[in-house]
Amino acid sequence: MNFIILSIILLIIGIYGLLTNRNLIKVFISLELIAIAATMNFVLFVVDQGLGEALLIIAFSTDTAVSAVILAVLVILSKKYGITDIDKIPKLIRKKEAINIEEEKQDEVVEE
Amino acid sequence: MILEILSIGLIVSACLALFQDEVHYAVGALAGTFLFISLIYALNGAIYGAVFQFAVGIGTLTVLFLSGEMLSEKTKNKTSPKKIAALITGGTVLSLPAIFIPITGTPTETSATALGEALWELRGMDIILQSIIVLTISLGIFIVLHGRKKKRGAN
Repeated sequence: MNFIILSIILLIIGIYGLLTNRNLIKVFISLELIAIAATMNFVLFVVDQGLGEALLIIAFSTDTAVSAVILAVLVILSKKYGITDIDKIPKLIRKKEAINIEEEKQDEVVEE
Repeated sequence: MILEILSIGLIVSACLALFQDEVHYAVGALAGTFLFISLIYALNGAIYGAVFQFAVGIGTLTVLFLSGEMLSEKTKNKTSPKKIAALITGGTVLSLPAIFIPITGTPTETSATALGEALWELRGMDIILQSIIVLTISLGIFIVLHGRKKKRGAN
């Protein structure tokens, strides 16, 4: 059983999913897969088992921090814009900025 | 033989997690991925790694399931059985190189440091310093808030 090849395959699947999926939850799943592919080398291809497991536990903390950031982005996006699609976000932001500029102009006209 | 089956299961569940349309089923497939990787760790003698991976996986799945249920848009299109069959076949084919390509350059000499010892050497001192800082900050906040409460009570 060649675990390095297994890790590379998992990494490729994760990166492909990251590039093709537009749903933020699917992006999160892709990042989890990439993290699994990276961390499995600590345990399965390491000279020192205890050291590998210790490094795995440290890597989990980093992974959890990344997960927290993505979930925060997900919650903010779904609350503010009601979507979880990455492609639609820039358009919505531009739309909102355009609306704000128009409102400011109208306010200025009313003041004059 | 068991490791080969588990690695096939790992890749297939990863493919299903990424390319299924429904978020719930994708999260279910990700649960399979976490289970398979934990079993692979356990069979390779990394019991602590397996337990930690499983615990972190359960937490991630809970959060993902809740966020998928509450925040994502529900799709009416269900994944067709043909697509699921194609994903399972594709995953199985993808996992074959890991089974059949032989291992080269395997380390011959291994040492066995205990997990506790390794963790202490890597993270011992900085965790202690962090905990001292956090404890000091929390004590400071408690003292400040207690002082404010007393002032309000006096007024």
